Order: sequence, then C-alpha cells, then structure tokens
Amino acid sequence: MKLQHYIGGLENLEPSSFEKRVFVQPWEKRIFGIHVAMMALSNHLDAVKSVPTQFDSFWTWGHLRKGAEGMNPFDYFKYRYYEKWLGGISGFYLESGYISAGELNSRTGLYLKDINASLPEVQNSAIDAQVVEYLRTGDSPACHAAVQPKFKAGDVVTVRNPPPVEHCKLPGYLRTKKGIIDEVYEGAYNYYFPTGDGIGDPMPIYNVVFNSHDIWGNLTEPNTKIYVQVFEAYLEDRDQ
Amino acid sequence: MANSFDREEYSAARVKALESLLIEKGIITAQTVDKVIEFFEKDMGPFNGAKIVARAWVDPQFKARLLADTPAAIADMHFPRGMAGAEGENMRAVANTSQVHNLIVCTMCSCYPWPVLGLPPYWFKDPTFRARAIREPRKVLKEFGLDIPESVEVKVWDTSAQIRWFVLPERPAGTEGWTETQLAAIVTPESMQGAAKVVVPAETKTQGESE
Repeated sequence: MKLQHYIGGLENLEPSSFEKRVFVQPWEKRIFGIHVAMMALSNHLDAVKSVPTQFDSFWTWGHLRKGAEGMNPFDYFKYRYYEKWLGGISGFYLESGYISAGELNSRTGLYLKDINASLPEVQNSAIDAQVVEYLRTGDSPACHAAVQPKFKAGDVVTVRNPPPVEHCKLPGYLRTKKGIIDEVYEGAYNYYFPTGDGIGDPMPIYNVVFNSHDIWGNLTEPNTKIYVQVFEAYLEDRDQ
Repeated sequence: MANSFDREEYSAARVKALESLLIEKGIITAQTVDKVIEFFEKDMGPFNGAKIVARAWVDPQFKARLLADTPAAIADMHFPRGMAGAEGENMRAVANTSQVHNLIVCTMCSCYPWPVLGLPPYWFKDPTFRARAIREPRKVLKEFGLDIPESVEVKVWDTSAQIRWFVLPERPAGTEGWTETQLAAIVTPESMQGAAKVVVPAETKTQGESE
C-alpha cells in the first residue's frame, strides 16, 4: 500500500492548523507559477503547437500527483506542500534532460549568495499569452464519448480494491466499502493518462454517498455522511 | 551549508535558479510566473465566489439555478472570461442550511475551484486537515471555532474525481436589506469551503444600523 493514498482517516494527529494564507513564503509563488506554466505549455494541448516554447513534454496535475505519491511516505510528511512541488518539478527537469544537476546546483549557489540577483531578461509574449489563455479555457476532462453508465441513482455499489499503482484517484479508506449512488454525472470523464488501475479512458463518474459508520465504525462521529465522486472503474455491483 | 543550512533560504535560491534556467532555455519568459500570480490576484479569486453567494442570498431564482446547474448560473454573471477555465471546468455548489452543514476536503491532493475561490489556503492543503476532516469533521470544525450540533447533519465532500465543490453558506441574521456589494464583503473563503460561517463583523453591524 501507499500511505499517500490512505491519508484520509489517519489517527493520532495533532490539531489542524487554520493557516489561511495561500503562500507562507514568497518563494512558493514562484514554483506554483512554474507548475501552472508547465500545464499551460504541455504538449498534449492543441493550442500549444504554435507556441514558441522549448518545453516539449506532457505535464498535468496527474504528473505532479504521481511524483508526490511516489515519494518516500515519511519524507512526504516532512516537507511542506510547495517543498514537495519544488522537489518534484526540479526532479522532472533533471530527469528529462532540460537542465543538468551541475547547472541547477551552481545557479542555486549563485542565488544563495545573493537572492536579489536578477532573473534573465527574456521576453516572449506568445508564451505568456498561452499561459493566461490556458487559465481562461482550462483542460476539461469531460468528453462526449458515448458511454452508458452501469449504475443509476439509488444503486448500492461496492468500491473495488485494485492493486496499488504509481498514481491513483481512489482514496484508500473507501476500498471494499459499500455506498449508494447519489447522482450519475452527465457525460464521461477521462483522466490525463491511464493509471493502470482502470481509469484514463472516458467513463462515467458518480457521486457516491457513504454512511460514516460504515467506513469508520466506532471511530465515527454521529449524523455524518461522506460524499465522494468516484470513477466507474472503481465501482462494482453489490452482487459481484 | 551543513551548519548554517536554512531551509527557506535554500528553497528560495533553488526555485529562483530553476526559474532562471527555464527562462534562459526558452521554456518560459521572465514575465510568465508574474502573469500567473497576477491572474489570481485580479481575475480569479474568492472575490468572485463572494459575489455569487451574495447574489444567491438576494435572488431565490438564481440560488435555485446555482444549485441545479452551477456553471450556467455563474455564466449569467458578468465575470472576466475564464469562469469555466482551469480548475473551474466542472464546478458544483452545495448549500448549507439550518439542518445540513457541508465541508469540502480533498484527501489525496488539494483540488479547489480556482475561478470562484482562487488558490487553496494552507489549512486546506495540510495533510493533518485532509486526514482528519473526513473522519472527525465536527472535531476539526470545533478547533476552527465552529460548533455543529449533533442534530445538524454533516456532509463531507471528498473531491477525488473531476468535480470541484464549493459551499453556499447561510446568510447571517442582521443583514436584512443589505445590498449585494455589502453582503459580498462579509463572505470569506473559509465559509465557501464549510470551514466557517459567515458572520457580521461588529463594526459592520454599527454601520448597518446607522444607515
């Protein structure tokens, strides 16, 4: 199992922080912006074909999440949210050969000596226009594939328990649990790439409601329901 | 670096090194990151969600449409282009009432409806919140200052597929006759994720009464 898939429900944790800031360090904005730019310049987007960027990779939320889920689980909890992004994204650039470890280390040393040293002055309005255009149009996972939903509202379903994969969209606490289809979402939804446990191709998604007693037993709180949007591939009929 | 190692200084230098190399290699430009940040400061942020909530509070027909077909209702409002853009492709609103309290969580990552709420705050991204909110939401909410009686049903929404949820909070008492602008000013991002209620600040109360 991967601990990162089983975060929901972990016990013995301290009180939750109610830190309302989005960024707690100024540098965090930079890695956030870099990630957004990568998604906006990803080579799977049609609009990017005419954009003069040297970025030629497939990069989505799925890739960032896969990196975080692939971390040593104990390290995962040591690093703050954007520290994980920084590690994952710089790792990607090194592994893909865009930059070398030597370059990154020596440039890091330069900025460690003087963090106010300026950035290179390179302008290219076509790249920036695509990044903003991506933010305005998105990359919708909804598709018009003709798929017939296997379940209807009110059906009792059991969540499958597929073997662990690098990256998945099934919260661990739901595995093998029974829920009721609350709503069948219109249309079909793909995922950025096949994860190996069933999702990727266009398929229906459902809003499934679970009684918290059925999931947490005597650890539950009263009068509580859990609603989760689940890909069809993760659900099976109650009789199977 | 061993003794004087400062985690934040190192990350700041590392990310700046990365950004400068990406600029030099023609992947992004010197303005790209600033454009992204500016987009979330000016165009897409919780100020949009607050206007939607205020409209729903004063217009029952709009509220009904918002809950039945969230994207269509939002499209009727005059926001900058992009309300169905990145992380807003499939948004849905869910209403708090005197009988139901909704709380949104993303246990496996940090999915968040950017066009209406902007970027997720740290509490929402914190693994501790993500671990606990799905199992002991009342206890977590109590730590956040919100006491939900047992008679009120708690619905926790785990955003683990492609739908981005946000909460239409309850309109607080003492806001009768307020304009949409006045109402929007008291709606917080936390209230639109179910982590807080909308309250009338003491000074606003006095202002309201004197008007």
